Amino acid sequence: MLPRHPGTFVSHLKCTFTPVVKAQGASRLLPCAFAPWSCTSSKFLTLSVGRQHDGNKRDSPSTHRERATRRGATGTSFSLFTAGAARKRAELAKSKLGNKLIDVPKEANTPKTPIPIKPLSIDDWKKMKAEAYNKTRFEVSMMEKLLSNHADIDIAKSLLVYVTMETGTVGYELLLKYLALCVQGHHLNEVLDLYAIMKTKFETLDTGAYSLFISGFSKTDRWKEAVIFLDSIKKMINPSPRNYGDVIISALQHKEVETAWRLLNEMEDRNLKPNEDTLQAFFDCGKSSCDEQYENMMMNILSYLRDNQIYPGESLMRSIQSWFESLPGKRWEGHRTTIVHSGECHICKTLLESIQLNEEEYNILKECVMNDVIQGKDVFKKTTPMELQHFQSFVKNRLPFDVVIDGLNVANISAKDIQSKILLEVVSHLAQQNLRLLVLGRQHMLRGTRSWDKGHMTAIQKYADCFFTSNISEDDPFLLYATILSGNHCKFLSRDLMRDHKACLSDKNTRRLFFKWQRGHQLVLSGYNPGRKMKFEVIPKYDTIVQSTKNTWHIPYEEEGMERCSYEVPCKWLCLQKRN
Amino acid sequence: MWLHVTHLFQNIGRHCSLQVNTWMKTKVGLARHQFMLHSRSLVLTPCPRTEEKNVCPDKIDLDIWKTVLRENTTEASKPLPSEDFGDSSLTTTRELVQMWQLAGKTVPENITDEQLRTVQELSTKSAKKKYLKYLAIKEGKKKAAKEKQKLKQGTAKLLQKEVKCEEGAALKNTFLMHFWQRSFDLMYNWRAAQSMLFGQPLVFDMSYESYMNRREMENTVSQLLECEGCNRRSLDPFHLHFCNLSSDGGYYKELLKRYRDAWDNLLITATDESYIDIFPKDKLVYLTADSPFVLNTFQHDKVYIIGSIVDKSIQTGLSHANAKRLKLATARLPLDEYLKWNSGAKNLTLNQMINILLTVKDTGSWEEALKFVPQRKHEGFLSVPLEQRYRNRTREQQKLNNSEPEKKPRWQKSTSNTNQTVEKSSGSHKRKQWWVDEY
Repeated sequence: MLPRHPGTFVSHLKCTFTPVVKAQGASRLLPCAFAPWSCTSSKFLTLSVGRQHDGNKRDSPSTHRERATRRGATGTSFSLFTAGAARKRAELAKSKLGNKLIDVPKEANTPKTPIPIKPLSIDDWKKMKAEAYNKTRFEVSMMEKLLSNHADIDIAKSLLVYVTMETGTVGYELLLKYLALCVQGHHLNEVLDLYAIMKTKFETLDTGAYSLFISGFSKTDRWKEAVIFLDSIKKMINPSPRNYGDVIISALQHKEVETAWRLLNEMEDRNLKPNEDTLQAFFDCGKSSCDEQYENMMMNILSYLRDNQIYPGESLMRSIQSWFESLPGKRWEGHRTTIVHSGECHICKTLLESIQLNEEEYNILKECVMNDVIQGKDVFKKTTPMELQHFQSFVKNRLPFDVVIDGLNVANISAKDIQSKILLEVVSHLAQQNLRLLVLGRQHMLRGTRSWDKGHMTAIQKYADCFFTSNISEDDPFLLYATILSGNHCKFLSRDLMRDHKACLSDKNTRRLFFKWQRGHQLVLSGYNPGRKMKFEVIPKYDTIVQSTKNTWHIPYEEEGMERCSYEVPCKWLCLQKRN
Repeated sequence: MWLHVTHLFQNIGRHCSLQVNTWMKTKVGLARHQFMLHSRSLVLTPCPRTEEKNVCPDKIDLDIWKTVLRENTTEASKPLPSEDFGDSSLTTTRELVQMWQLAGKTVPENITDEQLRTVQELSTKSAKKKYLKYLAIKEGKKKAAKEKQKLKQGTAKLLQKEVKCEEGAALKNTFLMHFWQRSFDLMYNWRAAQSMLFGQPLVFDMSYESYMNRREMENTVSQLLECEGCNRRSLDPFHLHFCNLSSDGGYYKELLKRYRDAWDNLLITATDESYIDIFPKDKLVYLTADSPFVLNTFQHDKVYIIGSIVDKSIQTGLSHANAKRLKLATARLPLDEYLKWNSGAKNLTLNQMINILLTVKDTGSWEEALKFVPQRKHEGFLSVPLEQRYRNRTREQQKLNNSEPEKKPRWQKSTSNTNQTVEKSSGSHKRKQWWVDEY
């Protein structure tokens, strides 16, 4: 009944399944051949902390949305870290508030001076200026309006004619806006002309002009000059990824692969994140030319995506797929897929990388959580040294725990019952599974108030070890530390996304480690109704990251039209498989 | 697209070129005339309705600005003399700033070498832009102030003349000599000196130097200056203590720079000692917005501490951590209890704090004191049921009485204080009304 899992760790847990009936239309809407799986999968388990059976919580966007609405009605929620979960939570909250928060769309304020639809004569421009609200910056603001309305270039030209006739010259700002209009409308000859004019008229140009010239020139035969512009930007400020991207794309189009690589490396040195279409250009270009060296470079890009946890968008994903399939003699085959909870790919049956950290990473994280999250620059900010010491000795004597519970977070999950009772129910439910529990809370919980019943609290203390921090200390850092100290099998129960604690970590890499660990170790109660069976959201067993084995590549990608928060991971995958 | 444009343009074309022609005659020399003749000849020929021929006149008309600009360049190429600064990178930054100004960005017109160097040292583009914007705004304000001053001087001169004309030589018969600012200062200083002897201490904790950047520090010192001024002008000033002020730190330097010679004559206590060394620990109360305890009544025997920090990067819990470390009592202002809070952080500026404390010390009423909270931050005062507030107060009094019985007279003193001030200030008016009503 259960699929085999190499990474099963809490083996003494009882597992019970509650298959959830899925939308009937799901299979029809799914793009690929593996549809039958995805509509007979279950999303939530009744406490299967260790083992998840094959459930596929990822469907096509339309079914996703359907389900979201239905789920909103039944009051359950989804995995905390799947793409789009935050949005759905927000919608749910909104509907609970009775759509009070729906913001009224602002009336589109009509511009005071409408833009002309055809080139005007000088007299007409004069008349217009006389009627205009803002006369001092009339020309520039008019050009801005033309720019934002994607107006025809001739109208702008007639404006420039008017300005030259009035003043005998054209100001830099106006020329700059006109240049932007030309670049926007791909009037490349006009850009070249403008360059000639501006070069003679002004000794130097500003960075804005340079980046406009870069994107203009890179589409013409004189793209090499764009490289020079890039250099002159570098002298003044750090160029943007867009600037680099424009040059790189044109270099690739003109088969100057060396330059493109050099620039890409330079970007990495400058800590700039390349735009998606820049990377896509590399894959698109690679389809025609293919030698060993180029292939290695592409692998470098893929490992760059992996190292920086970048998920390609749908168009980039398609480029990657077609590049792989175009490789001669290798016979790669690409499919879009979703992954079951056990971490098995539907197509090739490969097990994906485990979400568990390896020992070295785990130790780094342990240290960082202690140093950065709890102690930080000042121990007194979150706790006191006495309390910290007390906690450390407390934990050391009782290790290891199976589940660490954020008492206050769990108790406040529902307003239907008093807080201590909810906590007691959750704790007793977990205790029935024979788990070693640690409940973290604050001292005010013990005082015996209306919402914190003393009887409930003593009952909780029977089931679990409890640690109560002082009321002005933070309990989350203790929660994280106790969980990490208990070892890899230990999980924590909280709805908190822990973003502020993640932000305390000093560098990007540890933050990534923390997030990976969090995805693998955070239990979330998915909705709570007093008296009903308790459900927990499933914890995926695999890591969502670009990864490869000898014969396969698995690349998670972002669906189009799916809003993904920074702390969420995409659920769609591209499976690339080498046929032998 | 062209077709569409040309159709629309057919009528305008003729008109426009004629316009150009007249302009040319008045402004431009011979060389341009030749060009114009060409264009006129095109316009004057009867246009058949074929596309190509229609395109021509329009195009020439539309691109005329280019030729004009090209011809202008010989004259206009000089206005950017690249001054030799020795440092080539400095000149490039200067040029960049100049070009940004031409491009309509908010950058200052004049920039000193030192400021340029600061721009260079900033690592990111946005930091550079922000700093330049700050400089530009500063420059604009300075300019506006200067203009205003000039205007004022002009009118003042006129006024003086008028006054002289009217007055003539005769002096007025007055009871008092002109009451100069000097006399005010003398009075204030006398009060401040008295507060140095008998006044209630108020501590500014200057230990946050390392948490602030330069601008935050400058802002803090400005606020401190304002604090000292408010305190000096008040009826019953605090005895100000600047504690933890190290003589080699940025604070001290900035304070000296702002006060100059006045620093040595200032009637405050500035020390590098900590407040825990000066005052008994149980008298100290650290005021911090992060505190869980509410300052319901102002106590006249306590020493309140204000952390002098401007915290723009939102480092929460700094002063609370400090108080925790030293095991001091903490308190926050009863903002939520009295105000319908709207938006904005609950940490107030130093001068707002001291104004609130001075008022609550004088009058004992939080309503009066919390008028110094900026109005944008709240929607008005809460109409808390009086009964409830009364209950809160009595409970606290009981607590105070239980813990420290000798505090009672102090509290009584505070009430007596309020009565006095009520009589002095706004109360008198109200009282008259009641009187009138009774009769």
